[in-house]
Amino acid sequence: MPRSKAFSATRDGQIRVKLNDAAREFLEVVVEAIIAAETDHEHEWHATLHRPITPELDADDPLRVFERQQILESNAAMMKASLRNASISTAEAWAWLATMQLALRARTAEAGVNTEDDLKKASPQELETIHALQYFLFELTTALL
Amino acid sequence: MHEELPHGATGTDTLIRDKQETERAWAVVVWDDPVTPMAVVTLVFKKVFGYSESKATQLMLQVHHEGRSAVWSGSRDRAEGYCVKLHTFGLLATVEQA
Repeated sequence: MPRSKAFSATRDGQIRVKLNDAAREFLEVVVEAIIAAETDHEHEWHATLHRPITPELDADDPLRVFERQQILESNAAMMKASLRNASISTAEAWAWLATMQLALRARTAEAGVNTEDDLKKASPQELETIHALQYFLFELTTALL
Repeated sequence: MHEELPHGATGTDTLIRDKQETERAWAVVVWDDPVTPMAVVTLVFKKVFGYSESKATQLMLQVHHEGRSAVWSGSRDRAEGYCVKLHTFGLLATVEQA
């Protein structure tokens, strides 16, 4: 029996979202964490969202840092606002993709997973989160192709 | 670090060398990570740079197999703009002088 796709493109250019309540609640936690991490310097995900742009310089261009912050916040806000929708626009889908991918990177960095070997040593709980986000990302990527 | 100039070099030589340093291209480098799905990397390269499927896939594979790939080079300002976009998609990227 074919597996039901979490996301599928429709003829009118929308992306249909077939997620149950548990999946949407999981993603709600993820997007809330991104929003919190963006402004809270103590948040465990903050460093992942604020990586150096040009490491060989003493400091990054503040306008570029501000631009990145604006885009991150906008994407997270767009995902949060459309999280319960039955279908989302392409722009919203890109915001979901960016926010979920950021969460994946932040979660793995928090767990100290930087290499394939680290991944093999990750706890079942960490792997569950990682695999869930990878699944949603893969499904959404397929819908956006 | 400031290199010592060759014997007989003039201030003009220094200016020319500094100008050449400034004009050297800047590269956007994407680094491998163990969790990002390959399909996401390819899709983001197509979206951010407008690359074809084959070029985006080729660069994605270079990141995956070699650990990094210089995916674009040009002016520092544009390189940093692209790097910011890649960061907003959660990719590991930096800008460095080529």
